[in-house]
Amino acid sequence: MLLLVALTLLVLLTARHEASRVQDQTDALAADVAAQVRSELLRMQQGLQALPSQAAPAERWHADADELLRRNRALLRIERRSAQWQISDSANSAYAPPLFSLIGRSEMDVEAAAACSASRRSAAPMFSRSYFVPLPGGTGFEVLDLCLPVLDGGRNDGYQLATVSLQALLSGALAPEQARRHEVSFVEADGARLARAGAARGRGVYRAETLVDLAGTTLRLRMDSAAGPPSLIPNLATGAVLGLSVLLVALALLLARDVDRRARAEGLLAEALAFRKAMEDSLITGLRARTLQGQITYVNPAFCAMVGFTAEELGKAPQPPYWPPELAEAYAQRQAARLAAGAADAARSREGFETLFMRKTGERFAVMIYEAPLVDGHGQHTGWMSAVLDVSAQRRIEDLSRQQHERLQATARLATIGEMASLLSHELNQPLAAIASYASGSLNLMEQPDADTPALLRQALQRITEQAERAGRVIKSVHDFVRRREQQREAIGVDLLLEAVLPLVRLQARKSGTRIDTELPQPAPRVVCDRTMVEQVLLNLARNAIQAMEQVSDPAARVLRIRVRQTHERWVTFYLADAGPGIDRELAARLFTPFFTTRSDGMGLGLSLCRTVVEQHGGAMDFDSPVPGTHAGTEFRFTLPAAPAAVSAASADNETRTVAT
Amino acid sequence: MSLNLDPSLGLPVVYLVDDEDVVRDALAWLLRSRRLLSEGFGSAEAFWQHLQAQRGGNADWPGAPLCLVLDVRMPGTSGLELFERLAEAGLLPALPVIFLTGHGDVPTAVAAVKRGAFDFVEKPLSNNALVDRIEQALERSAAELTRRREQHVQARRLAELTERELEVMRLVTEGHPNKRIADELGISVRTVEVHRARVFEKMDVKSAVELANRLRDPPA
Repeated sequence: MLLLVALTLLVLLTARHEASRVQDQTDALAADVAAQVRSELLRMQQGLQALPSQAAPAERWHADADELLRRNRALLRIERRSAQWQISDSANSAYAPPLFSLIGRSEMDVEAAAACSASRRSAAPMFSRSYFVPLPGGTGFEVLDLCLPVLDGGRNDGYQLATVSLQALLSGALAPEQARRHEVSFVEADGARLARAGAARGRGVYRAETLVDLAGTTLRLRMDSAAGPPSLIPNLATGAVLGLSVLLVALALLLARDVDRRARAEGLLAEALAFRKAMEDSLITGLRARTLQGQITYVNPAFCAMVGFTAEELGKAPQPPYWPPELAEAYAQRQAARLAAGAADAARSREGFETLFMRKTGERFAVMIYEAPLVDGHGQHTGWMSAVLDVSAQRRIEDLSRQQHERLQATARLATIGEMASLLSHELNQPLAAIASYASGSLNLMEQPDADTPALLRQALQRITEQAERAGRVIKSVHDFVRRREQQREAIGVDLLLEAVLPLVRLQARKSGTRIDTELPQPAPRVVCDRTMVEQVLLNLARNAIQAMEQVSDPAARVLRIRVRQTHERWVTFYLADAGPGIDRELAARLFTPFFTTRSDGMGLGLSLCRTVVEQHGGAMDFDSPVPGTHAGTEFRFTLPAAPAAVSAASADNETRTVAT
Repeated sequence: MSLNLDPSLGLPVVYLVDDEDVVRDALAWLLRSRRLLSEGFGSAEAFWQHLQAQRGGNADWPGAPLCLVLDVRMPGTSGLELFERLAEAGLLPALPVIFLTGHGDVPTAVAAVKRGAFDFVEKPLSNNALVDRIEQALERSAAELTRRREQHVQARRLAELTERELEVMRLVTEGHPNKRIADELGISVRTVEVHRARVFEKMDVKSAVELANRLRDPPA
């Protein structure tokens, strides 16, 4: 801005200076020309004075006059007049058309007469006012008469009269190079131009006027420069400086804007980075970036907190340290397959998958992983970004709720038996308690018998009888109940039985990392059974097996094998084998005893109830420890009656499966 | 074993609360064979109302040693709820509760005992053993009654003491000699002796030690 002001000022000053220079020149020139004019006129006057007087012969006068005319081009005519104002002689300039050819001299000598009379009075040369002498062809001269009184001993003896062309006077006074650049003119007071000289036309910008004082008259001389007003860029240097300055300013402006923009962009970038960092840090979702080779390149704090390893440890490890060692091989294969799948399969990865990770403490926990391809600036697929959710807490809650559900379901299934037992005990307790009371009371009475004793005893015995009958009725109703359940048996595919319980079993198995292998012949055999009860038996045995393996240190060894075989035309055998520590001989003897349990929270009814159920179906239940053919674990077996051979279509499309959990 | 209670306390009563008529009858019959008076109620509510009627406006309740044999599980108000109500009303010392529990209620009953129930007995009952426990409960109830009576008597005696006698008694039980008591109260030793004799007389004691004991231990 300052620069701009300075520049403008510079330009203005330069222009002003230029203008004043031209003006000064013009002024000086005007003065010059005026002086020139004056000296010219003086020379004419001297020349005129040198002319012979009235007394001299006409020839001499003519010769001198002609000589004078020739020397002074501005002189148009010279006259010699008598004291009586008679023209005695006259000579016209050879360089101009003869004056007074159109109008006679006598008609145009008013000004001259005035001048001469003045000169006579003052006895000094006197100039007349200028006047216009028309010429044929519409032209004419603005002229001026110079009257010189010829004095002869103080007596007026006629006049020498010279007529001067103002135009020629100016031309003579103006140097040729000045004439090219200036217009010079005599003007009247009102500005009317009398005569002009100079090649150029004045622009009216720089003008100077000066007065040429002559005896008898005053001429107003005007000098008008042909130079226009100074242009804004008066010279090359100023132009160059100006141009460069403008360029510099423009550059500076551009630079400033660029710097500003850059600073703003940097600010935005820093802000975006901070925002991203805060976002990553605040996430409870773990983030993990991997190259296509599986090398970890980035993890966020949440991920580190989740697995318990630092980012450095994770970045350096050749194989993710959060892979449980027993599953590392399977994970490596899976990772290879997944990483090789390419970005095109990203949609599949989007759905996420669940897997098991290990914390630094060795604790296994379930995670949900969602992956998206990492694509660099060139559109190259360079790796994978994974969002890792710790779902162990969720799984725990799910497990808990499912366990509760399972327990509820188990309770519901057991309800028939449990309720029966409860009802039975209550129903039998009442009469038994009463009987005991009456009996004890009777004994009390008999110790000290008195008169009332026999009657009281009879009463007591009668009540005892009543209560005993009541107990009998209770027992009978239980019997009826059992018979009713027998009628609920149906033929059902073994696969359907397993399908009903496997989800619950898997749930429990996952908690301890137990694998479940099921092996079914094809087509699946069908059994006749009370479905609800048999499902309960399967569930009980599976749960026992899983719990038995909880102490097994190697998680890979935790396998529950469930096999079903048609061992006889009329019998189907179920095998459930675990890899637990087995059952020692002492325990084995009491295994099926009701209310025997090794667990603090167990009711001890499981196995005995299972056996009761199986036996109610006509089957048998047994176990071997260790599992036949191995030296560890326990295998429970039970048989159920096979359905008459009619293979259902429903079970035909099921094949022998191995399910890994 | 037979019950040996102070006849002046009144005839002991055993309340039987059980929704099972049969059990109640049989138990009543058994108690009768042991010469114990019983009253049966089919529900907790019925018993509670009876109890309220008995206590209503009667400052001397209970007029006899009592015992409550209470079934844990009953339709309507359960035995446990009734127990809580009795505990809140502060009736348990005079009315010991013996719970009858069925299958699976043992932990509940144990908890109840910890909160002040006299005992619990599992069904089916071991009959004479139950009666033995009932008699012990009655004895406790009788002891409570005796204690209350004596407390009553002592309160009456204390009420008879004048302000000055109370002060003298306090200082006597604190073990101060008469001289010191006289200085403390600004009275003559002679006057202290008179007050002291009157306190002993009114409190029905022979020595300062006896007096102190009576005041420290409320008669049991």
